[in-house]
Amino acid sequence: MKKGILTILVLLPFVAQLALLPFVNKIGPIIFGLPFFHFWLFLWIVLTPLCTYGIYQLQKSKGGLE
Amino acid sequence: MQGNLTALSITIFIILTVVLIGFLSGRDKKVRSSVEEWSVGGRRFGGLLVWFLVGADLYTAYTFLGLTSTAYTGGSLAFFAIPYSVLAFFISYFFLPKLWKVANHHKLTTLADYARERFDSKLLSILIAIVGVLMLIPYICLQLSGIQDTLQIAGTGFINVKVVVITSFLLVALYTFFSGIKGPTYTAIIKDVLVWAIMLFMVVSLPMIHFGGWTPMMDRIVKEAPQLLTIPTDGPKGIPWFITASLVSALALFMWAHAATGVFTAKSADSLRKNAMFLPLYNIVLILVIFLGFIAFLVLPKGTDPRFALLTLIQSSYGGVAQGLAYSTIALASLIPCSIMAIGASNLFANNIYRDWINPKVKPSRLTMITRGMVFVVIGLALLFGLVFPSALVSLQLLGVSGMVQIFPAIVISLFWKNQTREATIIGLLVGLATTFTVYGTGNSYGIYEGFWGLAANFLAIVVLNPLFVKKAKSNTNPVKEFLFNKKAKETSLAKKGA
Repeated sequence: MKKGILTILVLLPFVAQLALLPFVNKIGPIIFGLPFFHFWLFLWIVLTPLCTYGIYQLQKSKGGLE
Repeated sequence: MQGNLTALSITIFIILTVVLIGFLSGRDKKVRSSVEEWSVGGRRFGGLLVWFLVGADLYTAYTFLGLTSTAYTGGSLAFFAIPYSVLAFFISYFFLPKLWKVANHHKLTTLADYARERFDSKLLSILIAIVGVLMLIPYICLQLSGIQDTLQIAGTGFINVKVVVITSFLLVALYTFFSGIKGPTYTAIIKDVLVWAIMLFMVVSLPMIHFGGWTPMMDRIVKEAPQLLTIPTDGPKGIPWFITASLVSALALFMWAHAATGVFTAKSADSLRKNAMFLPLYNIVLILVIFLGFIAFLVLPKGTDPRFALLTLIQSSYGGVAQGLAYSTIALASLIPCSIMAIGASNLFANNIYRDWINPKVKPSRLTMITRGMVFVVIGLALLFGLVFPSALVSLQLLGVSGMVQIFPAIVISLFWKNQTREATIIGLLVGLATTFTVYGTGNSYGIYEGFWGLAANFLAIVVLNPLFVKKAKSNTNPVKEFLFNKKAKETSLAKKGA
């Protein structure tokens, strides 16, 4: 279970910022003053650290970090 | 166009203040007592200092000037820098702590040092050092042209730009020689604070000055230049280019000698993990700055030199004081990374070319002196190339990232793959470089980033050739391999170190 979450957290930033790009490459809708493409990139500036934080906590709880 | 005297005075004043602080941070003689002290600050920097240092390293004058100019000419392609650096920090979470531990335990100060110890190969380490220095000097030149352009806009009619550029770089070389990594670290804090304040100020005020606010600005771009807001789906630089350029640049980021220097200053592996979490936040300001290139596109007269897009925009929008603060921010973003880059390149040269190959018996005190002295050689070469043969450098600048990423298997994969062999790694590196140069030289990139082809060939060569040499690699061991892959040996050696 934990391993599954870990894998998802590791893959998510790559999928969102690379694989999904062809699908977010559009102007509308404009969110918070940013075209959708730029809003998406902005969103992942914030979400990627959260993924890292999640991985950090999971590894710590497993005692995997010396 | 004539510069602005107020702006120029502010710029010069701030540069001189920062140079002074650079010197003051080296008051304690200890900072130049050994290579380890001088180049990586004795590995005592806490999380926040590393954050400033790595941030200062990577967000340079070229970042701001280059990306706005790309946005001005190429639209949203410029935004590849965002996923690139976000992913670079994310990826770093998985290997930097490990690399740091090896480096700390075996007292290594460069990536080439690590490769030498990991593979028992001076050949591999000198290859890495040569690639590192060769790619870094053009990168220093880019910073140089950053400050040169800035001073040209600020000071035309008042100063001889070249003389001022040379003087300021020599001052930076001098304080780097004197204070080592402490110099750029303390000045990096000033630079980063200025970058954040001034860039946010510009992002808020420029749309207000020209369009009455951010939303009206976006409406204008959508109406008049919608082509800027998406990436082309194909062509030489379309979506496949954007994706591969982001990924390859992300893998390459910490292969740069200056980035590695920043990393090795950390005092613990955990501070690097925290940095991996917080460094992406730097991009909040960067992503907004790239939009300034779009403002330049709408506002500046057609035919403005793209290289000067941001600087001309600043000049035509602000009064003397704001101009001065903006110029000095860009000037510092050029000078301070230079100092760290010079340390990285000098370190590679002194350790992995001079000591490993020319004079293995060099005394530590003499090696320290040579490392420090190399700063003048590196910055001198950058000045020479940058001012005398600027055109010869363009190719190397474009190839910098694609070239640097080729050492990724030697540095990062080798942390995890026990049976990776020296022979396959060296051949892979050479194949990767050759492929990159060929793809670049012939122009047949098929819409994909050059370094991606090189890295693919590099990996392929390693995977195919590794089984041929694996027998020998399995039977040989060394302290670094023991440390990485033998849990028991690692514990005993750590315990010994603690005792």
